[in-house]
Amino acid sequence: MVAINPFNPAHPDYPGRPDKPSRSSYDAIVIGGGHNGLVAAAYLARAGRSVLVLEKRPVLGGAAVSEEVFPGFTFSVCSYVVSLFRPHIVRELELAKHGFELIPLECSFTPQPDGDALVRWADSARTRQEISRFSRKDAEIYPEFGLAMSKLSQFAKAIIDNPAPDPNAIRPREIAKLLRLGKIMQDFDGDTRHLNLKLMTSSAVDFLDQWFESEVLKSPMSVSGIIGTFLGVRSPGTAYVLLHHYMGEIDGAYRAWGFARGGTGGVSLACARSARSFGAEILTCAGVSQVNLGPDGRACGVVLENGDVINARTVVSAVDPRRTFFGLVGKQNLDDEFATQISRYKLRGSSGKVNLALDRFPDFTARPGDGPHVRGDIAIAPSIDYLERAYDQAKYGDFSERPYLNVVIPSLSDPSVAPPGKHVMSIFVQYAPYEIKEGPEFWPQRREAFGDAVIDTLSEYCPGLKDSILHRQVITPWDLEQEYGLGEGNIFHGELSVEQLLFLRPAAGWANYKTPVPGLWMCASGTHPGGGVMGAPGELAAKTLLRSGEL
Amino acid sequence: MVPRFFTAMPIPTPFHTRTQALCTSMFWKDWAGYYAVRSFDTCHEREYYAVRHAVGLFDVSPLFKYDVRGEGAMALLSRVMTRDISKLRPGRVTYCCWCDDDGKVMDDGTVSNLGDDHYRVTAAEPTYGWLCRNARGLPVEITETTDDIGSLALQGPTSRALLSEIVADTKKPIEKLRFFRLLKATIAGHPVIISRTGYTGDLGYEVWVSREHALDVWDQIYAAGRRHGLVPAGLDALDVTRIEAGFIMNGVDYQSAHHCLIESRKCSPFELGLGWTVDLDRPGFNGQAALRRELANGSTWATVGLELDWDEYEAHFTEFGLPPHVSSSAWRTSIPLYAPRRGGRVNGRQIGYATSGAWSPLLKKNLAIATIEPKFQVPGTRIRIEVTVEHERRSVAATVRETPFFNPPRKRA
Amino acid sequence: MNAFDAIVIGAGTNGLTCAALLAQQGMAVVVVEAHEQIGGLARAHEFHPGYRSAGVLHDTTVVRPWVVDQLSLVHHGLQLRPTKPDVLALGAPGESLLLAGDRLRTAGEIAKVSERDADAFLEYRAYLDRLRPVLSQFFDRQPLDLIDTGMGDLWAMFRQGLSLRKLGKKGALELARLMPMCVGDWLDEWFETDLLKAALALPAVAGTFTGPRSPGTNANLLLHEAAAGTGGVVAGAPALVRALEKSARANGTSIRNGIEVKRLLTDGGCVEGVELVDGEELRAPLVVSSADPKTTLLELLPAGTLPRSTEEALVSWRTRGTTGIVLLALDRKPVFTCAPDKNIAYAQTGGHILDIERAFDAVKYRQVAAKPVLEIEVPTVERPNLAPEGHAVVAVRVHFVPHTHDSGWSEQQRSTLGDQVVAELGQHLENLADTIVAREVMTPADLETSYGTTGGHIHHGEHALDQLLVRPAPGCQRYTTPLEGLFLCGAGSHPGGGLTCAPGGLAATAIART
Ligand SMILES: Cc1cc2nc3c(=O)[nH]c(=O)nc-3n(C[C@H](O)[C@H](O)[C@H](O)COP(=O)(O)OP(=O)(O)OC[C@H]3O[C@@H](n4cnc5c(N)ncnc54)[C@H](O)[C@@H]3O)c2cc1C
Repeated sequence: MVAINPFNPAHPDYPGRPDKPSRSSYDAIVIGGGHNGLVAAAYLARAGRSVLVLEKRPVLGGAAVSEEVFPGFTFSVCSYVVSLFRPHIVRELELAKHGFELIPLECSFTPQPDGDALVRWADSARTRQEISRFSRKDAEIYPEFGLAMSKLSQFAKAIIDNPAPDPNAIRPREIAKLLRLGKIMQDFDGDTRHLNLKLMTSSAVDFLDQWFESEVLKSPMSVSGIIGTFLGVRSPGTAYVLLHHYMGEIDGAYRAWGFARGGTGGVSLACARSARSFGAEILTCAGVSQVNLGPDGRACGVVLENGDVINARTVVSAVDPRRTFFGLVGKQNLDDEFATQISRYKLRGSSGKVNLALDRFPDFTARPGDGPHVRGDIAIAPSIDYLERAYDQAKYGDFSERPYLNVVIPSLSDPSVAPPGKHVMSIFVQYAPYEIKEGPEFWPQRREAFGDAVIDTLSEYCPGLKDSILHRQVITPWDLEQEYGLGEGNIFHGELSVEQLLFLRPAAGWANYKTPVPGLWMCASGTHPGGGVMGAPGELAAKTLLRSGEL
Repeated sequence: MVPRFFTAMPIPTPFHTRTQALCTSMFWKDWAGYYAVRSFDTCHEREYYAVRHAVGLFDVSPLFKYDVRGEGAMALLSRVMTRDISKLRPGRVTYCCWCDDDGKVMDDGTVSNLGDDHYRVTAAEPTYGWLCRNARGLPVEITETTDDIGSLALQGPTSRALLSEIVADTKKPIEKLRFFRLLKATIAGHPVIISRTGYTGDLGYEVWVSREHALDVWDQIYAAGRRHGLVPAGLDALDVTRIEAGFIMNGVDYQSAHHCLIESRKCSPFELGLGWTVDLDRPGFNGQAALRRELANGSTWATVGLELDWDEYEAHFTEFGLPPHVSSSAWRTSIPLYAPRRGGRVNGRQIGYATSGAWSPLLKKNLAIATIEPKFQVPGTRIRIEVTVEHERRSVAATVRETPFFNPPRKRA
Repeated sequence: MNAFDAIVIGAGTNGLTCAALLAQQGMAVVVVEAHEQIGGLARAHEFHPGYRSAGVLHDTTVVRPWVVDQLSLVHHGLQLRPTKPDVLALGAPGESLLLAGDRLRTAGEIAKVSERDADAFLEYRAYLDRLRPVLSQFFDRQPLDLIDTGMGDLWAMFRQGLSLRKLGKKGALELARLMPMCVGDWLDEWFETDLLKAALALPAVAGTFTGPRSPGTNANLLLHEAAAGTGGVVAGAPALVRALEKSARANGTSIRNGIEVKRLLTDGGCVEGVELVDGEELRAPLVVSSADPKTTLLELLPAGTLPRSTEEALVSWRTRGTTGIVLLALDRKPVFTCAPDKNIAYAQTGGHILDIERAFDAVKYRQVAAKPVLEIEVPTVERPNLAPEGHAVVAVRVHFVPHTHDSGWSEQQRSTLGDQVVAELGQHLENLADTIVAREVMTPADLETSYGTTGGHIHHGEHALDQLLVRPAPGCQRYTTPLEGLFLCGAGSHPGGGLTCAPGGLAATAIART
């Protein structure tokens, strides 16, 4: 127990230091040491550029972070499952060598208030048996649904793995990109094309209604459409996120959803180590207060919070677009039209988090025991009405009294994160709107009430929970903004709603990582293809920057 | 019974206690979620020979079964099936397949008319959802009976004599039961349905009995079987006999349209050689328009039987100083087929693939079932097939043959 | 021998338009209408002796000018208003905002509360004017086939793409941003006045299963604004129906009302006519249905006739009606407390976007909100003859009312709904309760029964992006159906519901081409 936790920045092997920069000028400065900033830095350094990463907090990882919040208990404080992390990034940055390791999620467990439960397993035959207890028809259609979604994923994968297509462009490269998407579409049969259209426009519930009759199945499936958005499962446009659950299968990385060993911070530290191995320099406790513009209006470096000035040929921002342009560049340096676009960019966080240190494993009434059914994610999503009610409350400026919860207990599969016999439980909570009635700055006063609502809700399914809690950490959207630098607490650096995706993310005409400020680039979740621990924005930004010849 | 979701897969069939006691090889397989015997002995040969010379007893309960009842039952099945079920009279069974809207096969199986608007469908895959999705507006009741009904296949030349000894309460003697007909009877005092059907291409029957009477019926058959050379048989023997009989298998010789990620993997009844099960000219049924089109424009593939050239095969082994080797069990891997070139000794372009095959101990032939370009489908056509001999990839000539390869008169007599 | 070339099912505005246009081409057309009176959702009916309603649909500003021209509706008595009628938006009791037909006057009204919004409003209108030529094509052209895209469609898409270019590169991208948005967010970008935002938002969600915070509702707003071309029809929807009827008859169309079609007569993939409830059979090579797609294809056709995938697509076609109707017979003219001296013909409640949202919330749980949002029409302002001398009729469209009530629609529930509406309305009308002579309450379930629209949906199917782009299902999105001889021409087809007459008109064109 004396050994220092590897996620403690005091650990001798920690890949970031609160030092001074070794040089006065770099090819590229990356603002923000979240996983995307680190991925971008690694790619740039790998291409031989001198790179400096500046992270405000003492720890690296941003929202993909592990911290030993209570002695012996390491929390994935924010993001808790790694989804869709691009397998080619793992290969290209040799992340496995630097400690990247995923433990696949076993299943998805949905306890019901009446003591029943549904578990969806990786094994399709078992899943069929489970579902057939609620609807035999649904059980049989479920694999068919999976197949249809896998077909459609080809479309989504083409979108995620490439910079956003520009519908207005006449460059051959852009046209080729659009044609490629068109080709995928053309190869679909009529039914699949219709489905694709519906997927892009309808609500998760309406989309699932076409297939299934059982709410016990539909509710937990529908929630993937609302994670991190300020929308409900009945809101149009929420269906397409369902695809993400099926992308793993065509990714060449079977069962792509998993826990990173040691928590999600493991992903970030592997990225950081990889970046360092290519020669990047990573500084912590180095908050940037301003992007410096030269007389020609070009970004030429940054000013740190402590007043230090560091120069660079390019500045790459890995913080959200609002903070980048209004906080670091300054409205006065932007043209009105772009400033308007950025001010219209919707952040509005809607989620919170409760992390628990548990004395023992608490049984779920529906299926007691710490068997395989609790080694995946556990969803409190008993019905569609329940989920909508949770959303409705948030619309009017309250956190949901009975929220949607997504619970994982990583210590069951990864004993390194808790003392023997003890557990960590991570509870993702929606909805917790940033804008509460009283105003977001009143969140600290409501924090404990929020935490209580979450624990009360979960206790209905897991009665022994309260007695087993040793410590609890409650994170509100306000905390996500203040501590983790996520504007308005939005976990994805901006809502993943249709009007903020693809060539519209973060603003029409500026979806290619470039910004109207010459020499300033963006590389984090506020750019295409958006948030989540997938590394894609960082990689695509770095590659686009390198190709541009600017660096 | 233990709720299914808590148990580990697979689960026992109604005859499990009996088959388990006999299965000394412990050679099991998961068939549609049930424990099924692959072979009772370490080698299935004895079981195979019993089917061809005496009688084999197979537990085929895992076959998916659905009962469709009600005024709309005939309309529903006519819509779903390629066969015109309105022509299926009570007491008859038909073999057919069913297609999606694009005329691609989803599964194949049988439909029995049990009389009084009551039909039974057997399928290789779960089909309940599909039947429901086609039943909108029709007065029918669809129930899955897979778990409730045990089924036994009695296959082989002495099956008729065996059954006639133990069957009672029939409207007509079992000897009079014609090919693809069924009758109601009792065995050991329990009601059963007996159909003259099977998957071996031999004289044979299938016995359908409700779960609670399953063991009694097994026991009676088994006891009477002694006098008729009955041998309990497993899936390995079945596999060899079904290839001799030229029967295709879902998931092996073709993929259900429901599981295909790409269009080109799907196939039509015509391509599977099941064109004879398609009644095109009648009111609308699933896939009709597409099937009409295909009939007019031609198909992309054909399914054929192949016989491998023995002499060439043997010669490859001789080259290595080996005696020719054939496996006693059937195989199910995809093997490339080529057009012959230069006098037939060399491979031309690829023209298809074999999907399964077996050495027929009876015919002494190396047989395969294959998917091939239609222009090569005429019986007698010579093509080439890949073989691996002593870790080397080679090829031998093969001849397209009519199926069934083995077709004894007793099958229909 | 067929007595007719075409049978049109349903004498609503679309059925009549289609019939009239087909007859104009020289076809012998018969229209079969279940109800005694023609007009469909636009028909007036006497809900209390001496008092007549003005139809469920009332917005006649969207009627397509080309339909008016082609059918010479003006010749047949149609009068178009020069400007749109005024609408009084009601907020909290005493609070109101007049949205005048004339935009400058509206700006003047807005300026009383917000100078900034008054300017913004003119800019907003100007922006919509720029979009109109592009978006109104949606209502005036044949639909694109987004599922089985052939060369013709690619060419049409290309042309539409070109017309998008009229907006400029930025303009086109902006449109791509606007369509999937929620109407609340977009109006927030323009305005600060809650009442104004709410008033502009309501038409985008009225009749749908969405609230102003639902993504995609902005597309409805833009389309609605783009459709509004004329100032509307004098004397409203019934006048439009009359003109259509005259035009149809002038072209030789016969109309048989008061007799329901029981089923479609088919013969191996062909529709050959209809059988009426009394057993009579009418035969014609063409049957064109303006009934909603579910009724036409799932109810009137024998089960199992449609290809399965079309059938399945139609089964999941969303038709959850959310509009209720409350008709009030008053013994005097209603007086709006906030505009006592004005003769208000149109008004609406919902003072805040979130009020509308709350009203929508309830319907998700199959309930009626505590405060439903009302669209109010006083038809007797323009047509005093709908009520006895000096009396009045107030027609209220209530949003949002569930088709299926959580506890079932009982007489009790219905009357509670009526009370709720009267109470809400009473906040804005002087002495309302005392002046009521009679009232009729219709839930979506009632609308379903009396107008024959599945789910009681006033647009024959949800106006959501997916159901607007492929309307109603693959294989029947261009007025044709998988059955030879059967066509669709109602609001369930492109471009959707409302008094545009566009589905009927475009269907006639499509039929003429085949
Ligand atoms: C509670 C929560 C749960 C989540 N759950 C999941 C999940 O289960 N699965 C999943 O895939 N995704 C999840 N996400 C989303 C995912 O974590 C994020 O989308 C992703 O981590 C963002 O990575 P990033 O590199 O783009 O940005 P960030 O991680 O936000 O990195 C930005 C970095 O910039 C730093 N910074 C900010 N301002 C400055 C400054 N002025 N100077 C220097 N540095 C600065 C910040 O400290 C931060 O480290 C979750 C997010 C949250 C908040």
